[in-house]
Amino acid sequence: MNTRDLVLIALFAAIVVVLGLIPPITLGFIPVPITAQSMGVMLAGCILGAKRGAFAFLLFLLLVAIGLPVLSGGRGGLAVFAGPSGGFILGWVVATFVTGLIAQRFVREGQPEVRQFVGFFLASIVGGIVVLYAIGMPWISAVTGTPLLTVATGSLAFLPGDLLKAAIATLAARAVFAGYPLLPVRA
Amino acid sequence: MLTSLHIEGNSWLHRLPVRAKLLALVALSILLFLSGSVLVQLTAFVISGGLYISVGLSWREALKRVGFVFFTIFFLAAVNLFLLPLSEVAVLTLRLMALVLFAAAVTATTTIGAFMDEITVLLTPFERLGWVRAADVSLALGLVLRFVPDILARYQAIREAHRARGLPVRPLTIIGPLIILTLKDADTIAAAIDARGFRRQ
Repeated sequence: MNTRDLVLIALFAAIVVVLGLIPPITLGFIPVPITAQSMGVMLAGCILGAKRGAFAFLLFLLLVAIGLPVLSGGRGGLAVFAGPSGGFILGWVVATFVTGLIAQRFVREGQPEVRQFVGFFLASIVGGIVVLYAIGMPWISAVTGTPLLTVATGSLAFLPGDLLKAAIATLAARAVFAGYPLLPVRA
Repeated sequence: MLTSLHIEGNSWLHRLPVRAKLLALVALSILLFLSGSVLVQLTAFVISGGLYISVGLSWREALKRVGFVFFTIFFLAAVNLFLLPLSEVAVLTLRLMALVLFAAAVTATTTIGAFMDEITVLLTPFERLGWVRAADVSLALGLVLRFVPDILARYQAIREAHRARGLPVRPLTIIGPLIILTLKDADTIAAAIDARGFRRQ
């Protein structure tokens, strides 16, 4: 890994920290407020690719673990890993990696714009939603004893917000891809 | 803005080495997940709670730090009441609360420096394999702490620019420019690091 990749990883982890400081948006038709930080997984994967994106989130989790309140709402410390949502937080690394893998596979320079949008959207949904929930929901079920089906039903409340996040992340990632492409130069 | 959750103090936990605290946390998790007895969970909850209170946080601050996690625990416990026998719900809820309190106590009594020293030790085997360098991890961590205020200032500038033009402040129109402007600095920063020979390669 060269120094530039190291710096990109650190800068992206810092961006994720800043996304947590932005006040969450509440939309009338979605029950849960949307935090910009939870878009970080999709953005990191689509912009930095699998390896650097996953490292950026590992670094971010390291900040959380050593006691910096960098999660949205000023949360942090080892307590968040011990809580029921610990699986979602640890799952971010894997989810970013998968998002990056799909983005790298399907998005290329010189493709028609629509194909790039589709590629990023697919990557955001599979990595940032499917993979993340596949790790987070069984975790909740395991530590709290709530049956998996109940957890899954409850999680449906977050789905509209997550789809909206995937859409925003897709547009933002495509804007970055057009303005400052990093995905083709892989670490 | 980025102040650590560590607080000054001289409690028993403060004086314990970080490795002992982390091993205790791991041991406690394993023990509590293996045990199905309400009594064991309750004892762990009382001891963890006692330790957390003894680290010297104000009640308000102490509550604020674990409040959100406790909210999720209670919410899921309320759901569980309809689905599981009461004794089981008690075991599950007390176990999670005990672990969260103990983890919060470890975080409150350990400095970032102590954590970093421990991480360097934990990375040694990976360093031998040539996978990662502990010095790189410290460097990356330092870079994050250095650049968060800059990126936040940049976010505020972009927000002001939106307002000045009468545009609504939407995440979509802010995130793109914020990321491009930030990542574009990577080359300069990398050149500065290499010019100073920080990574010695």
